[in-house]
Amino acid sequence: MIVRTVSIRFVQAIPTLLGVATLVFFLLHLVPGDPVDALLGETAMPADREALRAALHLDEPVWQQYTGYLGGLVAGDWGQSLVDHRPVFERIIERIPATARLAAVSLLLAVVLALPLGYWAARHAGHRQDVAAMGFSLLGVSIPNFWLGPVLMLVFAVGLGWLPVSGMDQPGAIVLPAITLGTALAAVLSRMARSSWLEAMGGDAVRTARAFGISERTIWWRHAARLAAIPVITMFALQMGAVLGGAVITETVFDWPGLGLLTIEAIQRRDYPLVQGCVLMIAAFYVLANLLADMLGLLLDPRQRHG
Amino acid sequence: MARASRYLVILCLLVPALVMLAALLFGQDGHAVDLDRVLAAPGPAHPLGHDALGRDVLARLAEGLQLSLSVGMAVILFGGMVGISIGMLAGWAGGILDAGLMRLADIVLSFPGILLAIALAAMLGPGVDNLIIALVAVGWVGFARLTRAQVLSFKGTPFVEAAVANGASAPYIAWRHLLPNIAAPLLIEASFGLAAVIIGEAGLSFLGVGVQPPDASLGTMIREGTRLMLVSPSLVIWPGLVLFSLVMVVNLLGDAMRDKLDVRMNGQSH
Repeated sequence: MIVRTVSIRFVQAIPTLLGVATLVFFLLHLVPGDPVDALLGETAMPADREALRAALHLDEPVWQQYTGYLGGLVAGDWGQSLVDHRPVFERIIERIPATARLAAVSLLLAVVLALPLGYWAARHAGHRQDVAAMGFSLLGVSIPNFWLGPVLMLVFAVGLGWLPVSGMDQPGAIVLPAITLGTALAAVLSRMARSSWLEAMGGDAVRTARAFGISERTIWWRHAARLAAIPVITMFALQMGAVLGGAVITETVFDWPGLGLLTIEAIQRRDYPLVQGCVLMIAAFYVLANLLADMLGLLLDPRQRHG
Repeated sequence: MARASRYLVILCLLVPALVMLAALLFGQDGHAVDLDRVLAAPGPAHPLGHDALGRDVLARLAEGLQLSLSVGMAVILFGGMVGISIGMLAGWAGGILDAGLMRLADIVLSFPGILLAIALAAMLGPGVDNLIIALVAVGWVGFARLTRAQVLSFKGTPFVEAAVANGASAPYIAWRHLLPNIAAPLLIEASFGLAAVIIGEAGLSFLGVGVQPPDASLGTMIREGTRLMLVSPSLVIWPGLVLFSLVMVVNLLGDAMRDKLDVRMNGQSH
């Protein structure tokens, strides 16, 4: 049963990915006027224009460009960078480890912050502690990461001199970007933890446990925690994808050489094939993370398997 | 809890309100370049000092604030109109149209929202119009999914059936019967959406794909400020503080509205 459901979800992800690739393909066609004009200016030599047109496959009919693009994606040929003429796929792959490291540390930080905070708020629901915890959560959701980053930099790197300002090479360089990226995640996750813990505490399982005379402490940590964990874990998996969106800005702020910074560099240099590749790669990870969230939900919660 | 958040709303509302008021009082031109006053300290006529081109920071903050709000409102308005129409159409028509439209929504949701907006804005080129288009292209989906789900839940109810039996046209039913009934969740979606759009606009402008100089946006001000952070940290602190307060206010109002209207949101709010 579960194998079947899981494989259906996998198959369902294929048209989504195809749609994503289609949208990314048409990104290039959104450039107003002629992309070649946009890249070279109107005074360029005709020979250069033709060469670029051929490199971008703009000399072919659209349907041929499209099928060629999709075929290339599958074969691992994602086109060539217009700036250094290296394969787009290669340039993207070499940036993935940096982003993965940043994302992993940020997510870890978010969990370590969010779970105790959510528990604390739920335990004291309606009281001052709850207000404080949810106030912090609101703060975390509302603070833009492109401002939090510079402020942290000002205080901890420039003012106190505890941590490096930017880059990736010095020890401790990951701390500030990870806090910048992790704060919003922690805020969302702690809200989720609070509400699902409270919901679990109001459920039948908890009422039954209370009737059996089990201690409150055990109920909170055994019975309710198990139920509350399902939405929290699902949310966490969803955030594994969301963190990539935030990484684009955070990496730019801190000059962290990951996939996000590569995207912005490519945009600034109008390296369209590289922009397309970056957006596609991030979206693919995002779809994968959403799929993972789905699977975890199915795996952990038998109630979701039917329905 | 309610009282605490009321205080917080007032506190956060104070920052943008003060900026607007002070800008009106001092009446400086945020575009007037004055190279004798580059990064000059605050003075009697310029309470927040000057930026790298000697322009009045307070006036630029007020301009950026207005831009944030008007872009935010425009995106929510257009995104709402597009999303609600598509949601109504999908929910009411069902079948292939519904499947197709929802597939489109799924595809848009397969990107981290900010990334798709960045990519669209970068390809369309700089400017406020393109910025709004990019944000609407991402923002309609939430409205569409919510509207569709709500329409589906009302579709079989007696008052809707009665309207159908009366020979009312689909647009009439949508406007007179469905919209008033689903207004509450849509309003909540709009208020949280507004917070996301305001951050999105500033984020895109911060990255250089949104509002272009010499126009002031809180995002471009933060961008220019970070370059001069070591010399003049206030240039990055002020616009961020204003943006942050604005987003807090919108989020708090969204929270309050959700509690007041007592709606359980199905689906995520950005």
